[in-house]
Amino acid sequence: MSKRRILALFGDFAEAHDAIADIRRNEVPGVTVDDITMKSPIEHPEVEEVLGDRPVHIQKFTLFGAIFGLVFGFLFLASAQATFLVQPQGGKAVIPLPANFVLVYEMVIFFAVWMTFLSFLFLSGLFKKRSRLYSEKVSLDQVGLMLEIDESIAEPLRDLFKKHKVLEIREEVIQ
Amino acid sequence: MMVNEKDINEQIAWAKINTDVLRSMENPRKSYWVAVAVCLAMVACAMLAEYIQYTVGMGVSNLNNPHMWDMYIATFVFWIGMSHSGTLLSAILHLLHADWRKPIYRFAEAMTTFSLLTAGLFPIIHLGRVWNMYWVLPYVSDRGIWPNFRSPLVWDAFAISTYLSASMLFLFIGMIPDLAICRDNTTGWRKKLYTALSLGWEGNDRQWRNFRKVYLLMACFLIPLAVSVHSIVSADFAMSIMPGWHVTSFPPYFVAGALYSGCAAIITLFIMLRYFFRFEEYMTLPIMEKTAKLTFAIAMVWTYLNLIEFASVWYGHDMYNKELLIAKATGPYAWVFWTMLFCGSVVPFALAIRKLRRHMPTMFVVSILLNVGMFFERWMIVAPTLSLSHEPWQWDVMWGSIVQWALVFGSFGWFGLLFLVFVKVFPSVSMYEVKEMVFHRNMTAGQRDVLRMTDHAKPVKQTPGVEGA
Amino acid sequence: MSLDNILNNWSDYRKAAEEGGFYDPEGNHPYEHRWTMSINLDLCNGCNACSTACYAENNLAFVGKERFEKGHAMSWMRIERYWDDQDKDYPEKGASFLPMMCQQCGAATCEPVCPVAATYHTPDGLNAQVYNRCIGSRYCSNNCPYRVRYFNFYSYYDDAWPEPMQQQLNPDITVRDKGVMEKCTFCVQRIRSAKDKAQMEDRPVRDGEVMPACAQSCPTSAIVFGDTLDENSAISKLWKKHQVKRNVTQQHKENPELRGYRIFEELNVDPSVMYLERVREEV
Repeated sequence: MSKRRILALFGDFAEAHDAIADIRRNEVPGVTVDDITMKSPIEHPEVEEVLGDRPVHIQKFTLFGAIFGLVFGFLFLASAQATFLVQPQGGKAVIPLPANFVLVYEMVIFFAVWMTFLSFLFLSGLFKKRSRLYSEKVSLDQVGLMLEIDESIAEPLRDLFKKHKVLEIREEVIQ
Repeated sequence: MMVNEKDINEQIAWAKINTDVLRSMENPRKSYWVAVAVCLAMVACAMLAEYIQYTVGMGVSNLNNPHMWDMYIATFVFWIGMSHSGTLLSAILHLLHADWRKPIYRFAEAMTTFSLLTAGLFPIIHLGRVWNMYWVLPYVSDRGIWPNFRSPLVWDAFAISTYLSASMLFLFIGMIPDLAICRDNTTGWRKKLYTALSLGWEGNDRQWRNFRKVYLLMACFLIPLAVSVHSIVSADFAMSIMPGWHVTSFPPYFVAGALYSGCAAIITLFIMLRYFFRFEEYMTLPIMEKTAKLTFAIAMVWTYLNLIEFASVWYGHDMYNKELLIAKATGPYAWVFWTMLFCGSVVPFALAIRKLRRHMPTMFVVSILLNVGMFFERWMIVAPTLSLSHEPWQWDVMWGSIVQWALVFGSFGWFGLLFLVFVKVFPSVSMYEVKEMVFHRNMTAGQRDVLRMTDHAKPVKQTPGVEGA
Repeated sequence: MSLDNILNNWSDYRKAAEEGGFYDPEGNHPYEHRWTMSINLDLCNGCNACSTACYAENNLAFVGKERFEKGHAMSWMRIERYWDDQDKDYPEKGASFLPMMCQQCGAATCEPVCPVAATYHTPDGLNAQVYNRCIGSRYCSNNCPYRVRYFNFYSYYDDAWPEPMQQQLNPDITVRDKGVMEKCTFCVQRIRSAKDKAQMEDRPVRDGEVMPACAQSCPTSAIVFGDTLDENSAISKLWKKHQVKRNVTQQHKENPELRGYRIFEELNVDPSVMYLERVREEV
């Protein structure tokens, strides 16, 4: 059985929202809400009400970066200070904690921020070639729903989209 | 009637937002090119001055034995301060859900990055041996030599590199959806540039979810970072033992001053961009009013911190500090000192008057005056202490040479150039966030969507299987 | 650079934190010497011989009149003149001189602020300045209450010693290039050679064996130099006689008539130079 990728463009977020809700109610058998990728010009946090909670893992990497910055930062500074032989200055300690506190503070943020950024790049699926169905209208003002489905479901799905005033349906055969 | 005035036209078509902003990158007014030319000329002067100073020696700047820092470090502090309100607008107001920031935060965030790039030049310019500047960085050397981690200048290097990378990433991340819009609507070299920079953004829900998270996390880190950066810059002074520098209240004083001059600069750039790119529909008067009110509040905080600093010096009755304060107010620097107080504490009252807040030429002048005051503030922090430190034999007043002033003025050209190129190449109004702002405001205004959403949200609580059966 | 090294120094830190300083007397890093100076202002007649000798000994650049006026002079040892004009008839009587040079502070403010650790504390109790390491941030000078650090604002060697004056340059020390901070070293090259000689002869450095150029040239012998760790040295006796103590911010003397004092000791920088106050006629 051949597979098909289908992109439905809606002029209004509410319509797309309703379409997803219908899929969620299982109105088209064989399609679940987890198959849907929603594409939108703006952020729609409220879509999670129908799309379900999809996990985000960035904060774990941020935490890792922050802890790495804390531990590595202090050990790095302390080793550097301890190996820097001629460092007796004005009767101060070799490893001055107040100064290191300031520096470690910066290093925590430094590593946390970079880890956040790098994990964002990989976890959000960037650096991929955009699918051929990509419509420039998604970056303008239309909301798209993309699904990969079996050929047999295509027709009822189209009907469902039409019921919700879909503006355009793009399709491609992938298998 | 005025109470109901909207921050932005909520009925604006999304396509119009795209066209307006994209158009701004194509055909600015002629005055834009005049500004670019002026900035280029200023940068050229600064480069000539730096060439002279590099080859001949620091002496050409008129720096001398008591005045080892003077204007270069004052300008450094000024630019670091300037960088702070971009963070205020983009991070703090983001966390506070103040959505009026959305049309104007992009250029404020760019201002942060570019003023940091400008500020970072000054500790380098002022070095006697610029070619060895990398010695401040903690790299592993086979001689086992490290920088001195106790020195606030090394803290500066850490803080600035952290702040620069964090604010650049923040600016970049916030711009990715807009870069995708640009990618979809341009041709030629721009298309190539935006395709590379938008990293394949297609606005799917996974990207948006991660985007929201990363933006929030970055905002959370930027706020303590911004505070720490200017505290560390103030530590350059507060950690010393010099009268007028060794002041406990310096970190909050510097942070307040930073937000102040940054907000004033946002007003200046707001008016310039509004004019250059005909952004009247996005950079609206109500938004200007809110920015002005914010600036006024910060101006009062700054004034307060100034007053308690004077009071604590006066009643602390430390001989060196008190003499210095009197000398600031009555000595050769008196005109700078009083101009600083006038511009910093009296002029902002113009922001309290509604008529003036809504009059762009007045606001332009006021915002420039505020920053003149803030520049003088930094000058008054650095120079008088050097002129009148403990040792009376070395009391001296120094006015910078043309080389020093060329570098100081040139930094404004350098900043202006970076900024003007940025707003021409990248969208200076955040398109997707203006859309969000309009969308959410419509949603709260018209109850239609909300009702429909809650209605459809109900099945989520139930299991789909039951519903389907 | 071994792990050993790290662990050893780590315990040094612990000791330092507990005992109040890296150079604890019984610890691992005691002072080898403690070079100090005493300047008797009653004997100083402001002749500037010390300053001149310093220029000759330490290859200090002659900057010329114009640069001098701009504050670019390099006089490590300078004679400060102060006027006390209370006596209207004979204002000259109010003149006083103060030879000022680096005070080699025990808790020097210049040291912790240098970003590249170009200035540090030696086991001799001196503030050493490493010219090669200096990048010219000038923070040390800004944080020096005595303002005795001098910066090479130009490449002075271009015209400081026209032919044949370059022949009088001291071969024992360098000529500094532009962009480097410098200051009085207590004639560290003389200390070095005295210590080397003593080591070769397998004996401690004798009192009076080291004499900086300023002390050597002072016609009235106002400057006394020596090692205060040596109990019997002339300088030790002077400090004791005037009841001036180190590591304090205020001197408590049994006899208030004693003239010894240290400049800006209330800033807790612990200067190594003791000044003996000028005796004035009571009016």
